[in-house]
Amino acid sequence: MKYFAGIDIGSTAIKISIVDENKNLMGFKISASGSMFYKYAQETLDALISELKLNNSDIAYIVATGYGRKLYKEADENISEITANATGARAAASEFGEIKTIINIGGQDSKAISLDSDGNVINFAMNDRCAAGTGKFLDVVALKLELEVDTLGEYHFKTQGTPLSVSSTCAVFAESEIIGLLGNNHSVADIVCGVHYSIAKRIVKLVKRVGVKEGIYFDGGPALNAGLVNAIENEIGQKIFVPQNPQITTSFGAAIIGVDSYNYENN
Amino acid sequence: MNIETNHHIESPKEKQNRHKAMEAIKLLNTLREDFKAPIESMEYFYDLFERVHCKHESLHDDKTKIGTMCIQIPSEIIYALDGIPIRLCNGFYTDDEIGSDFMPQKACPLIKATVGHFASGNFSDKPDIVFSPTTCDQKTKAGSTIESFGYKFIDVDFPRTKESEASREYWRRSVKQFALELSKFQGKKLTKNNLKDTIKKIGYAQSLYNKLSDFRKNEIVPILGLDVFLITNAFFFDKIDNWIEATQKLINELEIRAKEKISVTGKSSPRIIYTGSPPIFPNYKIPQIIEESDGIIVADETCSSNRMFNDMVAVDEWNIYDMMDSISDKYLKACTCPIFTKNEDRIRRVVQLVKEYKADGVIYQAFAGCTVYEMEQRSVLEAMEKEGIPILYLESDYSPSQGGQLSTRVEAFIESLKTRRRNKK
Repeated sequence: MKYFAGIDIGSTAIKISIVDENKNLMGFKISASGSMFYKYAQETLDALISELKLNNSDIAYIVATGYGRKLYKEADENISEITANATGARAAASEFGEIKTIINIGGQDSKAISLDSDGNVINFAMNDRCAAGTGKFLDVVALKLELEVDTLGEYHFKTQGTPLSVSSTCAVFAESEIIGLLGNNHSVADIVCGVHYSIAKRIVKLVKRVGVKEGIYFDGGPALNAGLVNAIENEIGQKIFVPQNPQITTSFGAAIIGVDSYNYENN
Repeated sequence: MNIETNHHIESPKEKQNRHKAMEAIKLLNTLREDFKAPIESMEYFYDLFERVHCKHESLHDDKTKIGTMCIQIPSEIIYALDGIPIRLCNGFYTDDEIGSDFMPQKACPLIKATVGHFASGNFSDKPDIVFSPTTCDQKTKAGSTIESFGYKFIDVDFPRTKESEASREYWRRSVKQFALELSKFQGKKLTKNNLKDTIKKIGYAQSLYNKLSDFRKNEIVPILGLDVFLITNAFFFDKIDNWIEATQKLINELEIRAKEKISVTGKSSPRIIYTGSPPIFPNYKIPQIIEESDGIIVADETCSSNRMFNDMVAVDEWNIYDMMDSISDKYLKACTCPIFTKNEDRIRRVVQLVKEYKADGVIYQAFAGCTVYEMEQRSVLEAMEKEGIPILYLESDYSPSQGGQLSTRVEAFIESLKTRRRNKK
């Protein structure tokens, strides 16, 4: 049996997925990107291989993707995270139905990808080079509110009054806006809820640029935040599908592309 | 393999309500928290807007609601025929975005927002019938769009000149026609006594507004311009008796504040006259920037505030014909809307306000897309220059961004007024 690795080196986290010849997900591992992308990517891959009780030689093909993909020189191929994301999403959502649109929120960008019925990328839109509406934005907010970022979702549903909108588009200015709200003793839940809606509005604008269709898939770390999911659902007016492990969609897609590339090159 | 996210998804109406609530609460929190020496009796108005726009409470369940699209539809007649006038000029960005689907891209945000509100059909007090004076082009044309949504919508012919006797006659006829239509709709007759009572009641409300304004002539200003806009905006839809009571209470508090020399401003805050496109809740963008930049709005010349209250109905003989004519005249002759061919009155009014309220400067705001205000800035700016009155012209819309650029300009203008005052001394 041959195995294939997809390595997604993002601004915040490194995500690695390994699939077998039949494109079944064997395992995955996530670690922080830190300051040494290459070193940590290598360590994470080694750890995952040994966790799965495999040898380095069992890995037939490695595909790198994400911002740091070019730093991983051992890769057999590197592809953009947009293609990888599209492939991964369709595979991960196979039982859910056809995916037409992908929303991805990463550590430092957010994007909307529109797919045709064969799963090809037909259009995509990304945020400007700015942390507004990204995972980083949530980090900043959580830090300021002295919350763990993974508890933001719970707070969202505790809101009693009207969500307090944060109108600054810039994460730095938004932080000072939040300080102002805290200074006036507003409830943390109302602030968190407002922050989620401001990100949701931003992302829905991106989705509108590529066209809103049924079959929306949401991935990236922030998709773990049920409050944000709810905010996006409300803003877009329909249910969205969130996979079990939203962080690894892109690396999963990269690994699948590895299978195809390997077969193509060796036949 | 997916995470269960079985939460309720908002309907379009719920979503619109949440968006509007978020807009409203943001401004209300600013008014409640961000300025010094808050006025206790303002809480009635903050709470009123919160009830209507955040909790979507209806105020007039049991009454017939008569929607109006401009200030020229006489509330005196509506009240006399047992209706509740609700002015539907709208200030919400949420509705502006909805209205954009029905209007040209460069249209006025106020009209886009108003059309958007009708398109959504989502009212806390839905109008049973709408009367719209044919004032500016966009409002006039928007009528047929609104009618196409299924509302009972009646145009009231309004002249574009007010100099001639013919235009006066024309408008008097329109007002009579309006009274007739409404009387038919309500199945009630307009009586001398009812009309007299409501002229007096609205006159009383106007006198309260004038009392309130007098406090703003003081050297120590006891109330923010923002708060006054909120009070006058409340007159659009509030129960008139409640409004009168709350304003009376506020005046009593202001009397005490005036005695105790409580000020809402700094010592050298420049006094500003605000003119141009109307601030309508919650679009207080420019007034907010002014008062956050250490300016104080002491008076305004806008149709959402001063223009509604400034002139009283002057009746000679309390018979129905004379009352009807006096009402008509008030809404035409005293009006300083820029839709009129010539509008010297508006310039005179602004200059008069500057003198009466000892203002340091004028800020003129036009909504991008409001052609008549955009056009009239030229003559107003020229006239102010002639009078030696500093004036700043700004264009803005309902979008929540754009604050940074506008505030830099307002701050610089206010600083220049401070320097000017210092050099004068």
